[in-house]
Amino acid sequence: MQKRVVFRNTWLPYILVAPQILVTLVFFFWPSWQALESSFYIEDAFGFSREWVGLRNYTELFADPGYLKSFRTTLIFGLCVTFLAMSISLALAVAANRVLRAATVYRTFLIWPYAVAPALAGVIWYFLMNPSLGIVSYWLRALGYDWNHYVNGEQALGMVIVAAAWKQISYNFLFFLAGLQSIPKSLVEAAAIDRAGPGRRFWTIVFPLLSPTTFFLLVVNLVYAFFDTFSLIHATTEGGPADATSILVFRVYNTGFIGQDYGSSAAQSVVLMALVVAMTFVQFRYIDRRVNY
Amino acid sequence: MAQVEIRNLGKVYPGKVRAVSGASADIADGEFIVLVGPSGCGKSTILRMIAGLEEVSEGDLFIGGDRVNDLEPGERDIAMVFQNYALYPHMTVRRNMEYGLRNEGLPKDQIAARIAEAARTLRLEEYLDRKPRQLSGGQRQRVAMGRAIVREPKAFLFDEPLSNLDAKLRTQLRAELRALHVRLGATFIYVTHDQVEAMSLADRIIVMNAGQIEQIGAPLELYQKPATRFVAEFIGTPAMNFVEARPVTAGLKIDLPEGASLPGPCAMVDQLAAPAHIGFRPEDLVLEPQDGAAGLRLDLQVMFAEQLGADTVIHARLAGQSDPVTIRVESAQNPAPGATMTAYAPNAALHVFDAATGQRL
Amino acid sequence: MVENRFYLTVLTHAVLITGVFFLCFPVWMALVASTHPASALSSTPIPLWFGDQGWENYSQLLSGGLPEAGGVPVGQMMLNSGLMALGITFGKIAVSVLAAYAIVYFRFPFRMVFFWLIFLTLMLPVEVRILPTYDVITKLGMLNSYQGLIIPLIASATATFLFRQFFMTIPDELVEAARIDRAGPLRFFWDILLPLSRTNIAALFIILFIYGWNQYLWPLIITSDESLYTVVMGIQRMVNSGEQLPVWHYIMGTAVLAMVPPVIVVVAMQKLFVKGLVESEK
Repeated sequence: MQKRVVFRNTWLPYILVAPQILVTLVFFFWPSWQALESSFYIEDAFGFSREWVGLRNYTELFADPGYLKSFRTTLIFGLCVTFLAMSISLALAVAANRVLRAATVYRTFLIWPYAVAPALAGVIWYFLMNPSLGIVSYWLRALGYDWNHYVNGEQALGMVIVAAAWKQISYNFLFFLAGLQSIPKSLVEAAAIDRAGPGRRFWTIVFPLLSPTTFFLLVVNLVYAFFDTFSLIHATTEGGPADATSILVFRVYNTGFIGQDYGSSAAQSVVLMALVVAMTFVQFRYIDRRVNY
Repeated sequence: MAQVEIRNLGKVYPGKVRAVSGASADIADGEFIVLVGPSGCGKSTILRMIAGLEEVSEGDLFIGGDRVNDLEPGERDIAMVFQNYALYPHMTVRRNMEYGLRNEGLPKDQIAARIAEAARTLRLEEYLDRKPRQLSGGQRQRVAMGRAIVREPKAFLFDEPLSNLDAKLRTQLRAELRALHVRLGATFIYVTHDQVEAMSLADRIIVMNAGQIEQIGAPLELYQKPATRFVAEFIGTPAMNFVEARPVTAGLKIDLPEGASLPGPCAMVDQLAAPAHIGFRPEDLVLEPQDGAAGLRLDLQVMFAEQLGADTVIHARLAGQSDPVTIRVESAQNPAPGATMTAYAPNAALHVFDAATGQRL
Repeated sequence: MVENRFYLTVLTHAVLITGVFFLCFPVWMALVASTHPASALSSTPIPLWFGDQGWENYSQLLSGGLPEAGGVPVGQMMLNSGLMALGITFGKIAVSVLAAYAIVYFRFPFRMVFFWLIFLTLMLPVEVRILPTYDVITKLGMLNSYQGLIIPLIASATATFLFRQFFMTIPDELVEAARIDRAGPLRFFWDILLPLSRTNIAALFIILFIYGWNQYLWPLIITSDESLYTVVMGIQRMVNSGEQLPVWHYIMGTAVLAMVPPVIVVVAMQKLFVKGLVESEK
């Protein structure tokens, strides 16, 4: 945690941490505290008066079928994005780890989408799947599948899942590749000498050894799908049609900025914060364990 | 250049872990002092307190007559050479050596002159514009020494500077260090766990154990008259042998392990009033009794012999104790395992230590 | 590699080529669409190869913007994005390197309190506390300003942790040698610690630049002045422009322009980027 030898200085360290602490207090803790506080009030639309209502914002929230549906949507969305992004990138990483020739070329072509903003990923897929002129929807129709995400909620959800997963593949790919490269070659060779075929070697040796990376990515991908995809939804479906793609973060924004219901939005913020804290906690518990190996 | 004095120095780390207690020593101007002891004995802690890298918890520290307990390391006018060299990896050799001088604000021409001089002394001239990673271990250690020399400090501190080098380089650099000390005539304080290094370098040695100073003395003094059983065992290779002696009736009958006996009178042992350890060095053992005054007689069974070339070390078992006895003899000897033999330690070669306190009697 | 079976090699390359296609195809289509006139995109199937309107489309976008969406020049938006991204990047690096330095190299009262304050911010993405943060910005009068776009985003636990991690790997003896060489804390920081952190700073720079460039929600809520729009956020105004049908050739052109700077950074500095990403997350 700290150096054996440290500088002795009474005021300098405070000056050094001051900028970070100041920004953190003003832009993280103050708003978080406000969210917590206003989740116990109901405010009128003009912000002139507010009334202490205790837990009513929360009870109303969990009695609201729309909110519960949003929970379900978020869960489906998160799990699908995570599974899709992780399985594709694992396959790519395993393949990339095998090639000797052209490895850097492949890698370059596989990592650049990391730089693409989720919003842009969303807009581009929105274009590809546009029911009237999108090339993908045209192909789907040629296959006999009628695509219109403007009216079909499930299709809309499918589209944002694909777009969100597409953007996350590069990230996962890099971590899986790094994880694979850190597995000692001698282990795989030993398994080969023990007459394990390539498939068996992968599932019995490589995959278990990759589990720290997999677990880490699992949490990161869920966090990404739950929170970082706000822009993707906002720039494309705007939660629709009929709330079919209205995930929790989108709802917080919508309730607060569009619906002007501060109390409910604050309560939703608090619920989400609790969710993030729980996920971070899980992740750190696991990191602790990994460090202790 | 200056003398260094430590008075009742103690170090207690947070959490009440005590590393050093009551350490006192006078280090003369121009002396080469070696602090030696097993790892964790507190020798490095003392060095680091002298350097100012650890705060002094108890006692006083004087460099050149001034109390420096509360001075920053940079203000103590000392230079230090570290085990892992601690060269600044992003600076060239020249910049590494200059850095302290620049911080001191020395004029450029003086800095250049000192660097040139040190580079010549250490044969580093052709490496001045290289980065540390382009140098070998021995060269890096020379740069570290160069960085110390250019400071022209009151005292040089060395923290196991040769430990990271291979055996051959170590021997070579040891000789260079000794020559450097003669040329500079400065105070050297040197920490090592290697007693051979200590013996070959030091004017005087400070032997430490468990946070305390066991003995301070010239190398030969420690070898010939170790003050405690710890020093006796620590100095010299192979290590000193011991047998236990217990007085059965005080001053009348002494009980020795089976196989060990005192054929003649031996004042030191005969008068023992409490249990003691009798020590004798492997090289002091002889295979023939001498002059009738035989000292300690040992009837041994050979386990194996190490033939080292110049001499042979015989490991043998004494029936009455589990610790084997080692004997150093000339190389012609090569007894077969299982053979029996008798060895004698003359009275003059016996060291007797109190079993309870470890103090020399 | 343990063995070289032919079918495995073929399979390997097939998987990789499919992956490359899946990742590149959407952007290919965006590129193609951006070089056609609106008419070419009104009938299916749309063309799969470049048209001849690329120059006209991009010059219109960069200088005049999209008339249907207020006509903010994309060039202007990209400039805003660049300023915001660079501000966030430099700000974050400066703020976090100082904080990490204090936490690792000094012992002072409340050190651990500060550490935990910073650590906790890891847990709270801006999305989940968007409304109250907006209130704070309003109270501070930072709406519609570059400060408002940059400052709230420069405190980041991630960067602080990366630096802390790196500082912990620097041998203690280096500080000790510096102290004996009469270097005070600031001189040590400037002469030794910063030069040693060069690679880490560069790697972090890439990650943070992309982070800053791709900000969406933040500029969305705190800028209502069009001259402050950033490009990633601005594109949304073109897509959801009320009654009109989206003008896809312009939108795709904007999307391409919006991804060019970060993609160039990633591809050009691939090695540093990989190092930065893998290390900053561990």
